[in-house]
Amino acid sequence: MKRQTVLLVVLALLMTPALGSANPNGVGEGTFDAQCGGACHGDADMNASSMSVVTVLAPSVAYEGLLTSVSVSVSSIETTTSGLLGIFLLSDLSGAEDTPADDGWTIVSNSEGGTENYVEALIEAGQTEHTVTWTLRAPTEGNYALQGAIHHGSQDGSGAPFFGASLEPSLVEVRPVPEDLPRLATSFEPPTQRSVGETTTVELVTEFVDDVSVEWRLVGGEHQPVTASKTGEATWTFDLPPSLQPVVLEWRVHLTGEGPEQTTPWFQLRSQEPTWTVDEPTAYLQSVAMLLAFMAAFMSLQRRGPRDAENHTKTDAFNPGGEE
Amino acid sequence: MVSAGTLHVVSTELTVGSFAMAGAAFLLAGFASHDLFGMRRHLNLADNVAHFALVFGLLAMPMAIITGIQASPGEGVDHPLLINKMLLASAAFGLAFGVLLTRRWQGMEVWSDHWGRRWQALGGMAAVGLVLTTASIGGTFTRGESLLDMFNLPYEHVPLMPMWLSGLVIVVAVTQFAMMRQNRTA
Repeated sequence: MKRQTVLLVVLALLMTPALGSANPNGVGEGTFDAQCGGACHGDADMNASSMSVVTVLAPSVAYEGLLTSVSVSVSSIETTTSGLLGIFLLSDLSGAEDTPADDGWTIVSNSEGGTENYVEALIEAGQTEHTVTWTLRAPTEGNYALQGAIHHGSQDGSGAPFFGASLEPSLVEVRPVPEDLPRLATSFEPPTQRSVGETTTVELVTEFVDDVSVEWRLVGGEHQPVTASKTGEATWTFDLPPSLQPVVLEWRVHLTGEGPEQTTPWFQLRSQEPTWTVDEPTAYLQSVAMLLAFMAAFMSLQRRGPRDAENHTKTDAFNPGGEE
Repeated sequence: MVSAGTLHVVSTELTVGSFAMAGAAFLLAGFASHDLFGMRRHLNLADNVAHFALVFGLLAMPMAIITGIQASPGEGVDHPLLINKMLLASAAFGLAFGVLLTRRWQGMEVWSDHWGRRWQALGGMAAVGLVLTTASIGGTFTRGESLLDMFNLPYEHVPLMPMWLSGLVIVVAVTQFAMMRQNRTA
């Protein structure tokens, strides 16, 4: 009994540091208010200020219900040895009801392949800058502010939670859409993810548009034109080439019509290796089955008739009581 | 603050080290029980080292599994290597537990029977082999390479049974335990 207690205490002590180390592997992307993507980063008594510089880049004018693009750029990056950096797009830094959705923005996509206001990026060793771009549908007419924030751990083993935010908000004036402005229909949802090696056919739905021209690029690469075919009164299709490895491809459309020519923001399309899934309950049950089967099979193999083990068990350290 | 990744390395080394020692001792116990290389007099020593090292390895194994789950990226088992790791670890745990229970129930007598000594040594070494293969998969998962890569083991293929078959195996195994226990108490 005493031995079991000591064993339990030792195991509990060994477990404590692991369980108490917050979320060193991140919390995954999600919709979070400022600082809530990892509780202790938001505690003013516990957190520390990040030395990284956070900047929000947004257009000064957007049109109600139309898509626009906002980027949060982080420079002088500090992060943990695992390289995880959490990045927020926010409407303010109050810590409560401050996601873009709380101001009426709708997140259509982000360059990490999701549709949330908080993403986690894996920063390579030596990388000092990282930019995440969100594609947003603008809210109703008015003036809006957008903020960027980050949080991360440290490399010195102190376990301190760091938090940082943009010094100034980016101000966006949302205006009503001019009557004949060439634009994408509000029902259009750009694709955000695809598998490596897969060609993507995009079907555009437009309003007040006579002609479109599409171009794509890899991040930081040259612009490549794509031919779009008109398939209906206000619908167009075009193909984006497959990628050979996981990358982010960006594309945009120039829209021509009676009103002033418009260019959409860059839409991000992330390609990933095909995801592998398994029926987890089946795997867990098979795991238990294998454990019991191997155990039962071996013990059956070793099963023999009664024998005289007394002479051995008297001095048997592994079986001191001579239990049978 | 110690991260889960660091603790996983520590607990994995404890596990693999203990199992490796157990494997070597099972081999020596096998030799000793067959009186090979004049090792008969070391049987008691090899037997104790083998089984106690196996016990220690089994105690360290849950710690390695828990910290491994905490340290792994993402949620759930979303890679064939992780499923194979879990299945192999379960098989190793079951086999090792069977070896230990057999030893506890039969005492040193397990080494005196002609086939008993062979199965005990082979069972112990097989359990060790399974754990080392499990560790090798861990190396392949985190670093993309491991020592056992030379054997081209099919880590990417997951041999999953249907759920009903797993249930049937569990029922058969539990029935077998019940029968063994009944025979022992009879």
